[in-house]
Amino acid sequence: MKKLFARLAVLGVALLVAGQGQIAHAQEPAAGKKIVRIGATQAVDSMNPFLAVRLVSSSIHRLMYGFLTVPDPKTLQPSPDLAESWTTSDDGLTWTFKIRQAKWSDGKPITAEDAAWTFNKVMTDDAAKTANGPAAENFESVTANGQDLVIKTKAPQASMLENPIPIMPKHVWEKVTDMANYDAEVYPAVGSGAYIAIEHKKDQYVKLKANPDYWRGAPKIDELQVIFYDNPAASIVGLKKGEIDLIGRLSPPEFEALKGDSNIVQWNQQGRRANYLQINHGATTSDDKPIGDGHPALKDPKVRQALHYAIDKQKLADEVQNGLAKPADGSIVPPMYTDFFWEASGDTKVSHDVAKANQILDDAGYKKGSDGVRTMPDGDKKLEFRFSIHTDTPIEDKLAEYLTGFFKEIGVTLTTKKLDSSKFTEETGTTALFDIAISGWSVNPDPEEVLATHLCSRRPTASGEGGGTESFYCDETYEKLYQEQLKELDRPKRAEIIKQMQERLYTDAPVIAIYYPNDLEGYRKDRITSITPIPENNGILYGGSGFWPFYTLDAVAAPAAGSAESGSNTGLIAGVVGAVVVIGLGAFFLTRRRKSVADERE
Amino acid sequence: MTTPLDAAEPAVQAAGSGDGRPAYRGTLRYALSKAGGALLSVAMVIIGTFFAFRLLPGDPVRALAQGRNMTPAQLDLERHRLGLDKPLIEQFFDFVGKTLRLDLGTSYEYKRPVIDLIGDRIGATLLLAGTGLAIAVIFGLWQGIRAGWRPGSRFDRFSTGVSLVLWSVPTFWLGLLLLMTFAAGIGPIPGLFPTRGIESVDAPDGFAYLLDVGMHMVLPCLTLAAVVYAQYLMVMRSSLLEEVSQDYVTTARAKGLRDDDVRRRHAVPNALLPTVTLVFMRIGFVVGGAVTVEAVFSWPGLGQLFYEAIRVPDFTLMQGTFMLIAVAVILMNTLADVVYHVLDPRVRSA
Repeated sequence: MKKLFARLAVLGVALLVAGQGQIAHAQEPAAGKKIVRIGATQAVDSMNPFLAVRLVSSSIHRLMYGFLTVPDPKTLQPSPDLAESWTTSDDGLTWTFKIRQAKWSDGKPITAEDAAWTFNKVMTDDAAKTANGPAAENFESVTANGQDLVIKTKAPQASMLENPIPIMPKHVWEKVTDMANYDAEVYPAVGSGAYIAIEHKKDQYVKLKANPDYWRGAPKIDELQVIFYDNPAASIVGLKKGEIDLIGRLSPPEFEALKGDSNIVQWNQQGRRANYLQINHGATTSDDKPIGDGHPALKDPKVRQALHYAIDKQKLADEVQNGLAKPADGSIVPPMYTDFFWEASGDTKVSHDVAKANQILDDAGYKKGSDGVRTMPDGDKKLEFRFSIHTDTPIEDKLAEYLTGFFKEIGVTLTTKKLDSSKFTEETGTTALFDIAISGWSVNPDPEEVLATHLCSRRPTASGEGGGTESFYCDETYEKLYQEQLKELDRPKRAEIIKQMQERLYTDAPVIAIYYPNDLEGYRKDRITSITPIPENNGILYGGSGFWPFYTLDAVAAPAAGSAESGSNTGLIAGVVGAVVVIGLGAFFLTRRRKSVADERE
Repeated sequence: MTTPLDAAEPAVQAAGSGDGRPAYRGTLRYALSKAGGALLSVAMVIIGTFFAFRLLPGDPVRALAQGRNMTPAQLDLERHRLGLDKPLIEQFFDFVGKTLRLDLGTSYEYKRPVIDLIGDRIGATLLLAGTGLAIAVIFGLWQGIRAGWRPGSRFDRFSTGVSLVLWSVPTFWLGLLLLMTFAAGIGPIPGLFPTRGIESVDAPDGFAYLLDVGMHMVLPCLTLAAVVYAQYLMVMRSSLLEEVSQDYVTTARAKGLRDDDVRRRHAVPNALLPTVTLVFMRIGFVVGGAVTVEAVFSWPGLGQLFYEAIRVPDFTLMQGTFMLIAVAVILMNTLADVVYHVLDPRVRSA
C-alpha cells in the first residue's frame, strides 16, 4: 500500500516536470509577435452582425467590416470609409455613393453589389432587421451599378451618413438561408476591416489577426484578443496582473481601484453618456389617453422647474460620481459631441438655487403644511414623489439619498422605489407607474436616435405595448423640430435645430439631465506603447464609435526570453503546487499508518 | 421520497424481503413506480415553468430594447417573431409540444436555439461541478468519519467548526476573496492562479493543456467544495454517531478487532447509507449549483449562461436552463431512491 503511494507520488512529480517543459515550449510561437488583449465585461451575443446587439459585438464587428462612412477620428464628422465619395439629389431623396476599389480579406473585389445586397437584406428579411432595422426603415430602394450605389429614401434623412450597418460580402452571405438562426461561426471570417476574426470560443474570447491587405494599411500589431470577464472585479485583477492589457467602461470604484499602479494608465476623459431624471409629466399613450399613476403636481412645468433648481448637480458629480463626471448644464447630448452639444446660458440656465425653487413653488400656490411638506394648491394631496431606481446599483442608491435631501429643502418628499430591471423598464417605459425615474442614454456621433426616443410615436400603444419612449414626451414644438432636422442636409444648420430641441427638453423638463459620466478606462503602458482615442484629442478608447483606437494601437512585442521565463515561472508554480499536494498526501498516509499502529495497541 | 434524515433513524431490523418473491422483481416494480412519479414531476415542471415565466413582470420585448433604438414597428415584429402576440392558450400548447420534442425555443439574446447553447456549455459545468462535488464528498466524508468516531475530540470540534463557518459564507464572497488573494497575489502570496475562464487564450496542446485547465480549475473548485463539504461531514458524522453505540459494534470490539477495523468494516458501511442518498441528490443540483462560482471566475458553463439570462433578461433561455436544472434534480432524486432501495434491505421490506 505504502509503496503504491510512493510510486504515485513519483509519477506525479515526473508529470509535473514534464508539463513544465511543455508550457515553456508551447509559448514560444508567440515570441516576437505584437499581441494586445482587451478585457470586456460582456460576452459576444452573436458573431452575425445582422443579429448582434451587444456593445462588445458591435465593437468587434467594427474592426472586421467596413461601413459606407465612419466618424472622422478628429472631428467625428462623417468621413469616407468604403464609400469614397457621395452626392445627393436636389430633393434630398436620392444618394449616390461611390464604392472604393478594395478587396475582401479573401481577395475578391468589393463592389456596390455587396452594399446593395446588405441593405436589401435588412429591408426585406425580418430576422436581419434585428441589429440595425431602424437604419434602413426609411429606404425606398437600394441598387448597384458597378461601383455606384444608389439609395432612394422615402423621406429626406440627414443622418444618412452615419449609417450603422456594416457592409457584408455578398458572395459569402448570400448562401445563408435562415438568417434568424445563423451564428456566423466560420473562421477566418471574410471582411474588409482592419482585423480578421480567426477564432471565437464562446463566453471566453475572440481572436483577431491583422488584415495585411487592409486598404488603409495593415495595423501595427499582429493580433488582437478580446477576453471576456463575467465579473468586473476579476477584470481589474486581470489588468493589474497583466492577463489583459486594456479594459474600458469602468465604474468610478473600479477606476479608483487602479490607482497607484505605475504600469497602468488611468484614462479619464469626457464620455458619451448623459444621465437624467425622467419625470412623469402626465404620461399618455400614442392615442393621447392618460396612462399610469404619476403625481398630478408633476404635470405643472413650474414644479418641474422648481425641482430642477433644487438639484445641486456639482455636488452630485463630485460625491455620487466621485468627481468623475461633468455636471449637466445641457440636456441629453453630452459635451463630447461639440457640434451638437447645447449648453444653457443666460436666463434659460438653471443653477442650484434653493431660494428660487421655494419661490417658484410659493408663487404657484403649493403651500407648506405644518410638517414642512407642500400640498397641491387645490387640495390636500402632498408633494410626495416616488423615485424609481434599479436594485443592486449602489450609485443609484447614493443618488437617491442626495436627491431626497435636496427636495426636502423645498418641501418635497422623495421616497425611493427599487425595481429589478424588467419591472423597471415596464413601469417607466410602458405602464407609467412612476413619478421620477433614473434614466440615461449613450449617444452616437449623430444624436438622431436619442432624439427619437422622446417622440410622440414612441409612446405605448392603446393596448399597452411599449413603443420605446424614454419620457412619454409628446410636444408639438419638439416634433416639428425633429422633422425639420431630418430634412436639413446642411450640417451646421441641422446642428442648430438639434440644439433647439435640447433647449426645449431643458426648459420644458420632461427629463432633467444631472451629469455626464466620464469615460473611465485603464491600460498597461508597459504593454501598449501608443493608442489614439476617438476623437483624437480627448476621446474614448473602447466602446466609442470607431475602429480608430484599435487600428492605431501599437504594442510591445512579446520577447522570446520573456516567454520562456514566464513558462518556467508557470512551471515553477505548478511544481510548488504539486510538491504541496505530494507532501500533504505523504503526511496524510504516514499519520494514518502511525494511527492504525496506535489503534492496534489500544 | 426517502429523505436522508428518515433513513438515519434506526429502521426495522429485518433482512431481505419476507414475501418470498425474487428481490429484483420488487426492485423493478419499485423503480417503475418511482419513474412514474418522476414523469409526473417533470410534467408539473413543464407546466409550472410556462406559467411562472408568463407571470413574471415586464414585457420581454421592451426589456430587450432597453437602451437601444427600436421603432414601434420593429418592437411589434419582435413580438411576432417570439410568438408573444398569440393567445396565451395557444402559446401554452406550442410550448408544451416543442418542449416534448426537446425544442426549448430560441434565445432572445443569443438568437440561437437554447438547446444548442446548453449543449455548448454543459461540459464545462460538469467538469467544474463534478470535480468540486467529488472533492467535497471525499473530504467531507473523511472528516465526518474521523469526527463521528471520536465525538467531542479536538479534531471533531475543529473540523466541524471550520466546515460550518465555510458553509455559512456566501459563495460569491468566498470566491472573490480567493480570487483577490490567490489570483491577484497579496504581499508574500504570489498570484498563482488565473483570474478567469477554463483555459488560457493561447492554450498549449497535449499534456500542458490539461495542466493549464487544471490551474484554471483550482480556485473555482476550491470555492465550490469549501462551501458545501460541511453537509457531507455533518451527515456522515451524525449517522456514524448512531452506529457507535449499536450492539454489533460492541460485538465486533468484543471479538477483539482493532478499533480501525471496527470502524472501517462494521460501522462506516452501515453509516454510509444516508450519505449515499445525499450524494445522489446533490448530483442533481450540480448543474445549477455552480451559478455563482461560474460568475465569479467567468467559467464558460451553464451557470454563467443562466446568470446572463437573468441579467438581460432572456426569458426563453431562463426557461430552458430552469427546466434543465429542475429535471436533473428530479432524475437524480429518483435514482437516489432506487439506489437506496437496492443498497438497504430494510427499505425493501418496509
